[in-house]
Formats: sequence, structure tokens, C-alpha cells
Amino acid sequence: MTDTVSLTIDDQAVEVPVGTTIWDAARSLGIDIPVLCHSTRMRPVGVCRMCVVDTGVRNLQASCVRPCEEGMAVYTDSEKVRRNRRMLLELLLADYPAPGNREATTGDDELLALARDYGVEHSRFQASASAAPAPVDDSSPVIVVDHAACILCDRCIRGCDELQHNDVMTRSGKGAATHIAFDLDVPMGESTCVACGECQAVCPTGALTNRSLHGLHVLAEDRE
Amino acid sequence: MELLNRLMAVQHRKGALTDDVLRGLSREWRVPLYRLEGLRSFYPVFRDQPGAPRRLSVCRDVACRMAAGPDFAERVAQAMMGFDGIEVESVSCLGLCHAAPAALAGDVPVSGSPERLRDGMSGRQPQPLVGDPPAGVAAVDPYRGADGHYGTLVELLDGGRPESVIETLEASGLRGMGGAGFPTGRKWRFTRAASGGPRTVVCNADESEPGTFKDRLLLERAPHLVIEAMIIGGWVIGASHGIIYLRHEYEHAREALHKALERARADGYIGSNIRGSGFDFELDLFISPGGYIMGEETALLEGLEDRRGEPRNKPPFPTQVGYNGGPTLMNNVETFALIPRILQDGAEGWKARGREGYSGLKFLSVSGDVAAPGVYCVPAGTPIRDVIERAGGMAGGRSLYAFCPGGASTPFLPAALADTPVDFDALAQAGAGLGSGALFVVGSGRDLLDLAIQQVRFFRNESCGKCVPCRTGSAQAVSKLEAAQAGAPEEGLTELLEALDETLVQTSICGLGQVALTPIMGLLRHFPDEAARLRRPHD
Repeated sequence: MTDTVSLTIDDQAVEVPVGTTIWDAARSLGIDIPVLCHSTRMRPVGVCRMCVVDTGVRNLQASCVRPCEEGMAVYTDSEKVRRNRRMLLELLLADYPAPGNREATTGDDELLALARDYGVEHSRFQASASAAPAPVDDSSPVIVVDHAACILCDRCIRGCDELQHNDVMTRSGKGAATHIAFDLDVPMGESTCVACGECQAVCPTGALTNRSLHGLHVLAEDRE
Repeated sequence: MELLNRLMAVQHRKGALTDDVLRGLSREWRVPLYRLEGLRSFYPVFRDQPGAPRRLSVCRDVACRMAAGPDFAERVAQAMMGFDGIEVESVSCLGLCHAAPAALAGDVPVSGSPERLRDGMSGRQPQPLVGDPPAGVAAVDPYRGADGHYGTLVELLDGGRPESVIETLEASGLRGMGGAGFPTGRKWRFTRAASGGPRTVVCNADESEPGTFKDRLLLERAPHLVIEAMIIGGWVIGASHGIIYLRHEYEHAREALHKALERARADGYIGSNIRGSGFDFELDLFISPGGYIMGEETALLEGLEDRRGEPRNKPPFPTQVGYNGGPTLMNNVETFALIPRILQDGAEGWKARGREGYSGLKFLSVSGDVAAPGVYCVPAGTPIRDVIERAGGMAGGRSLYAFCPGGASTPFLPAALADTPVDFDALAQAGAGLGSGALFVVGSGRDLLDLAIQQVRFFRNESCGKCVPCRTGSAQAVSKLEAAQAGAPEEGLTELLEALDETLVQTSICGLGQVALTPIMGLLRHFPDEAARLRRPHD
């Protein structure tokens, strides 16, 4: 028999196995907590902080990594929670290229969708200098990297290193200079990338998209 | 530890981890390139190109900035023009605040004017070495001489009870002296009770909070106290392995620790079957590859596990899931160093060392506008005003304007609150905190807004970049504050900064992001004249 804990989420009672995250428990109740860095196929990392919820303690808790506890009373959508999510969205939108490669083509940019949900139309913050060696890297035969649209959610990195075991992607640099990188921070097309497409499939923004979607030929076709 | 140690050895031998070097290591060690890149680009000791043969690392943080002006590093670089083979870089606080303005010439602490530093670097004159400040270490050393060292451990191994050590620590009221102030006895109890392995004792000697240098002096002058308390910790929680995580700039402390470890090993206090008790304990010294964030306990663990030093989401806490997934007892240098004295005193004896109802002793790193900056060991409960007097009183004919009681993570308080006693709760009630015990004193006529902005800049510079609020928020705050300082505060700036502060506090993964705007929030609360400089006249 599995040990369980009982708690309430938005005043609905739920009983889940010990170790279940608040995010997963909420989903089982049909409550969708917004998140950009988490995907159900992956180990949660809790870096975008969009999934924060109020558990009554001093700080909001990232629900994708926070295990449920007995007797917890969780609020996923309070004014305090929404206010802080709006600020996070403003911070992310500050240097976001509008509308971005994903929204302009397949129209499924998760950051912009969330911003619309939260009524965040503009940011009070200014764009900062690009942290990557070049803002746009179209050296790969298949995938275009737009660093300005990258929110460092880590999905591509987990996709590359943990799901596909291709072991190509990392975060390079530190602090505001952090950016996604391939091998020793070389252009994607010069790296050991095998163009499997996992990174562009899991990317929630316009940072990693297919070349063909924005008017560039897939390079392999050119060669034929 | 293994991969980072190997990379540091190569960096040291070759002067850089160039792409060619890393490609070779990747094949030889069978480690993917991306992992090596992640580490090389994260840790400041690694470089991708060799630098000049001689390097001068000039401190840019508050004590040095106040002593020598905001452009000190630039003036030093200018003075060095025309001298080949010398490179000047500006770096975060070096823990040499008593000698401001300070720098490291290679790994040698130096201090002086740009010209004096130039003459030292060029060999025209001897290096202007940093002097030894007072440290007050004797107050907590229960031993008269080296022959008595480890006496507390010997007594415990000879029929003592681990449970009674925890009881004494709990009753003593000892709290973590690294900055967070978590009750030490409770931490030891949690770790002892936690199941699983491996079990490890870690000393966090990555002291980097601007203005803090007490741990460095404790390690230089009384390393045996820290080592003894770690061994006792191992005995109490059932660990046979300890690691001292030391800041890489602390070369003198490394030498002192190395010697003390050799001696303890030779005398049979480290190793197997210590003093015939059947208890084994090994102790490693790990030198950090750099960065303030590594002092955050879970970033430190990530570093020990050869990853980028990015803090973990908590829970689980290291007492349950720490180094390599096992229960880990991690304390700060000062916390460990106080323990032999406390165990000798007993809880009541230790508490009685405080004054006016406050318990025990506290080391304070005092810097800024005082006549005799240094480390002072004072009874808890001593008013801040008296601590300033202990440090020689105000320097340069200035009167007290503001003080920051616990490092950059605690806000500035006005002179009117200088009667607040040295104590975690009393300082928290006054609107600040004891933090790491770094008392930074600011005299009249100083530009407090400039100093507070530098503290925010420090947090931006040291952010690991893992979570959105800290990575983007600290950088945005600095650019808005710099614009305001240049004379153009935007409309509604203070309201925006307060809202941003809420998000940093509420949503950042670790303490760094949570306090990144604290220096400015302190000014808004306690210094109306400084706050006015961040507002438009009609706001």
C-alpha cells in the first residue's frame, strides 16, 4: 500500500501518494497551473517560477517541484500569485522579439499565450544586450536558434541530454550572460548535434524553431 | 569534486581551458563537451584563453568603493599602462575589507593607491602587503596551547553521548553564523535522525558576503577548532567523511588548514579508529572554483558533485538529501569554531557570556568608516554603537550616518538605530538582521545611494542565472537604478522597484535572488533623503 497525503487545492480536497508534486496533484483535479519550464515528459526543474502557488508559508512555492504535504492548503490563482506571475511575464517579455518565430508561423508560442491570459501587453523593462555570441544562429541544417527568444527554461537541454541522450546542449555562462549552447559554445551547425528535432519540439517559445517555418530552406534539400 | 579538481589542476598547469584542451580532455576522460563547457563558463577560476603572466584582481565592492571611489579599478588599470605582462581585473569582495582598497596580486593580498599597486606589480618596490587585523580568536579557544587541542573530542570519545552534544547545542541557543541563523542544535538533530547514506559533514568556508572576513581570520588563526567540531559532528551524526569547502582566494587560510589537518592526522584525531574509539573520520579540503553563489548550501553541494553551482529547489533540505543524496551536516566556519568552547562551557556557561539577557559571543567583521577595522568578538547584546567604539570609533572626523549590520543581504539602518543590540532577533526587529555579522559603517558625507546600488550590482554580478526572477530582475533593477543615479529617475520607479522586490522575494529559488533588492528597499524605508533621489520631483 502506498502512503498518501491529504490536502486541499483551491479548496478542493485531494489525496495523493507521498512525493506527488502540487502541480501533478492539481492536474488530477483538473486545475491547470501555468508553467513554461516543465513538461510532463521531463524531470521538473522549477526555474521559470511561473507555476508558483501560495501554500501559506513565507514565499510562494514552485508547484512543479514542491511535494504535497499533509494538511496543506494550496491556492493556485490568488491575486498575490497572479500579480507575481504578471511581473515574471513582464521580465521575460522585456527582450522578447515580437512576435517571434514560433508565434509568427505555427502560432503556439507558450509565453505569448500566457501573457495574453494574464493581460500583459507590454513590459516596463527594457531589452538587454544578448548573452550569446550571436543573437541568431542559423548554422544548423534544420533548426534556427533565436537567443533573444530564449527564456532558459532548460527544456531543450533536458530533451537533448536526458531524453535523447545526444549530449550536446548546456547552459553556458553565468547570471545575465547565461545562454543555451552546443558543445563548447560553437554554432549549432558546427556542433555534434544530430538534428533530431527534440529541442525545437519541446521549446515553448520562438528560440528553437524549424528553418522551413520562417522562409529558410532546410539545408539538406539545397544540397540535393 | 573529482572532475572539478581535475579541471582546476589543468587550468593551473596550462593557464587556460582552451577549446583544444577541452576537446582533448573530453576524449581522454570520456566526458561530453557540453559538460565541460557548462563548468568552464560558470566558474570564475576557469579561463578559455591564457591571461597575462601577472594578474591583479581589484575589489569593486562597498568597503573598497567607499575608500577609493567607484573608478578605482580603472585608475589602477591606467596606472599599469605600459607595463607588459600585467593584467588588471575587477572582482567581487575579497574579504580584505579591513585593508580597503584591497586587491589580490596573484594570490597575495595587497592594498594601496594605484601608484603603490603599480610599483608592487612591476617590482619597483615590495608588494604593499595587507596587514593582520585584530581577530579576537582567543576568546573562543578553550585550549591554552597546541597540546590541549582536540581535548573536547577526546573527552567525548571517552564515554560521551552524541545525544548530549545535541542537547547542549540546542540549549546554548547557537544559530548558524553564515547568514541564515538556523538553530544549530536542531540541524544536528535532524541530520542525526535522517536515514540513509552517504553521511557527510561539510564546513561552508566559502565566505564571500561583502564586508565579511571573520571566517578567514578564524581559519588562519584557529583552524583546529573548526576541524575538531567537524569531527565531533561526524561522531554525532554517524558520518565518517567531512569536506571543507574553501573559497579559492583564501590562500593563507588554505595553508593554515593544510598544516592543521596534517597535524591532526599525525596525532590520530583524523583517520581510522580515532584514539582507539572505533570511530573513523576522514577530512578533505576542497578549493572552490569561485563565485559567491557557491556559499548557498545547495549550490555548494552541486559544486561538490561536479555540476554548475546552481541552487537546488528546497525541500528536500541537505539534512535529508545533501551530498551525493545522503544526509549532510553543513555549518559555517564560525558556527563550527564556537562549538568546542560551548561544549566546554556547557549551555548555561556559554549563554552567560552574552550581556543583558542575550546569549554567547559573536564575531563581527567591522569595516568602513571606523578607525580600526577588523574582526571583533563581542558579547551578544552589545549595542552596535559600542562595537563601533571597539573598532576605534568613527574615522576621519565623520559622524555615523548609516550602518549595514549583516552584509549586503541586510539593509542599511540609520544612525538613530545604533543602540540596537547585536542579536539575530533584535536586529530583525529593527528592520535588518545579523546576517553574516559584517558590520559596515558609513559616515556623514558619504553617497549612500551609490553604495546601495553597488550592493544590488554585486547580487546581479553573482547571480547564477538559473531562475527567471533573479537572472532578469537583478539586471533590470541595476539598469533602472543606474539611469536614476545618472539624473533621470523614471516616473513611478520606486513603485516598480517595490513590485519587483516582491517578485524577487516571493519567487526566487534561493536567498541571493530574494535579497537582491534589499539594499534599495532599506533606503526607501529608512532614508527619505536617499529615496527622494529615486523619485521625480512630482512623483
